Amino acid sequence: MNRVISKSFKLAAVAVAMSAAVGVTASDARADCGEVSITEMNWASASVVTNVAKFIMEQGYGCKVKVVPSATVTAATSLAENGKPDIVTEMWYNSAPVYQKLEKEGKVQTIAKVLSDGGEENWWIPKYLADKHPELKTIDGVLANPKLVGSRFHNCPDGWGCRITNDNLKVAFNLKGKGIEVFNHGSGETLSGSLAAAYTAKKPWFGYYWAPTALLGKYEMVPVSLGPHKDAVHKCNAKKDCKTPGKSSYPSAPVVTGATAAFVKREPAVVAMLSKLSFTNKQMGGVLAWKESKNASSEEAAVHFLTTHKKVWGGWLNEKAKAKMSRLLKQTFSDLIK
Amino acid sequence: MATYDVIFSALGLEAWCQSGSGKTSGPVTMADLLAKNSGNEGATPSLWELPFPSMDALHEACDSFPRSRALTRGLENGFLSIKDELSFFLDPLTQPLSWFLEAALWLFQTTPWWLMIPALLVVVMLVSRSVKLVIFVCACLLSLAFIDYYTYAAQTLAVIFVCAFLCALLGVPIGISMSRSDRLQRVMLPVLDMLQTLPPFVYLIPLIFLFAVTEPKLYGIAIILYAIVPVIRLTDLGIRLVDKDVIEAADAFGMTDRQKLIKVQIPLALPNIMAGVNQTIMMSLAMVVIASLVSAPGLGVLVLRGIRNLELGVGLVSGLGIVILAVILDRTTKRALARINTTYD
Repeated sequence: MNRVISKSFKLAAVAVAMSAAVGVTASDARADCGEVSITEMNWASASVVTNVAKFIMEQGYGCKVKVVPSATVTAATSLAENGKPDIVTEMWYNSAPVYQKLEKEGKVQTIAKVLSDGGEENWWIPKYLADKHPELKTIDGVLANPKLVGSRFHNCPDGWGCRITNDNLKVAFNLKGKGIEVFNHGSGETLSGSLAAAYTAKKPWFGYYWAPTALLGKYEMVPVSLGPHKDAVHKCNAKKDCKTPGKSSYPSAPVVTGATAAFVKREPAVVAMLSKLSFTNKQMGGVLAWKESKNASSEEAAVHFLTTHKKVWGGWLNEKAKAKMSRLLKQTFSDLIK
Repeated sequence: MATYDVIFSALGLEAWCQSGSGKTSGPVTMADLLAKNSGNEGATPSLWELPFPSMDALHEACDSFPRSRALTRGLENGFLSIKDELSFFLDPLTQPLSWFLEAALWLFQTTPWWLMIPALLVVVMLVSRSVKLVIFVCACLLSLAFIDYYTYAAQTLAVIFVCAFLCALLGVPIGISMSRSDRLQRVMLPVLDMLQTLPPFVYLIPLIFLFAVTEPKLYGIAIILYAIVPVIRLTDLGIRLVDKDVIEAADAFGMTDRQKLIKVQIPLALPNIMAGVNQTIMMSLAMVVIASLVSAPGLGVLVLRGIRNLELGVGLVSGLGIVILAVILDRTTKRALARINTTYD
């Protein structure tokens, strides 16, 4: 939906990295798993997931992990064009039609819901606003009091999936008629910038965003209820030429890990681990909040997760990998096997 | 035991260092984690592996010494704490820019195409006095309109006109004062270098904290800061390059400084100044896509949509639309430049 921030040079970088990674032949029953390429999407939670997966694959499964900086659309396109990288993680399923097509063709397999609760797309207001005016927690309340939210709706940039849905929703809810001006942002940076600016000044803000994100980890926002979710209506809203835009909230967005069919065949053990690698929104929110409060990098946040949630990720590993990790890293992880 | 413990103990700062320890366990990197577990931690590194005494390395030796990330965080907090005062001054100061942009966009969008295109052609004719060029411009505009890109192109043109005009309006006087004061030139040159190289988003996002994000001046500022540089540089250069003998002659006629400037220096520097204006227009067009990232309307929006959705055709056509606008503006200003050159040569 959202992180479709694609820069062409990134695409080129992915393509180059991909072609370099091709040429790894299918390995037989080797102890070590060889070279694995995995995406690192350009937002905080994805970066944490990638770093955790990288550490486990390197230390537990003996893989040589190559991290490919990427974004939703570029990763899917690269998969379609040359079947690399081996693993894409934190793929926002709904926002990547190319990925869905590849899955149907059997080139890619979705092996896990990496965020088990799914992502939450919604329209939000800051918490201080919701505390002051509880009626704003529903869209009807917002429409009745447009002045309280600044008479403005912060919309997605052109080219994002949510832009199409929001453009239909704004018709369905008659935002303009109720006195709410829709402002179309030029980029995700200004969208998040406006939220942060409003929050630090304790001013009203009303617009689209999604969780879990570093931004919503840092600034406490309250979702505005758009009423019940109606599947057929939402499907129409997600289309550009929807003739009858209707009122429906966003569904919870599946956020998945995918692996190429070739990789699933090549490394069943690693795939088995990845299929269990999954975070609840609470766990991820906690890690992101820690990252924000410590001003830490994603890698350090991954280490924080690894050292504080041993039980969680210990369950993802097979016995062999567990033994290997507790042997190699006995000072920190000796308690992995009991 | 970290490498630089010695420094702090030699300075007698151990007590200060220890006062900072034990408060929180700071973030650990993967390398640290692995080193800790391989049992290598604490071993004195060889000279070969000596870490640079950076803030992070010193922090390892002394917990009270801030990490380098404290520096960036401090900068951020500093900015946030003075933002209200900054906004108090900068907001009204830059407000006219928003008005100009809004007015220009309104003018270009409400004027019907059958008035707008002839009007533009008349301007081209007046500036260039070349029928060939007018025909070329006409063909370009009509083909853009034919593929339904007229509205976007008109928005882009409106933004470019306002920004380039303001660049010339502000840049020429700055260039003139730079040419008359060596000290000012010494101060300004690094500033100009910075404006040309500083990535725009680095200052645009902080600007959102100062102004409303919906203000057109956000992208106006981005374009002007980047595009004003050539006109300043070339005005400065042009006036400095005026022949010393000519100035001497002017002195001999008893001209005052102001007369010299207006009647001798500026006319003789005009080819250079116009070349600067031409470059300024080109550079404002180069900023169109970045401006669209801060919500500027026009062809930049289409370029972004093209690359975000991998609609390669949209991206290419709108990119070429920007090129066509650039060619039109370049040819027109070059023509004007050529006319000036023949007048004063």
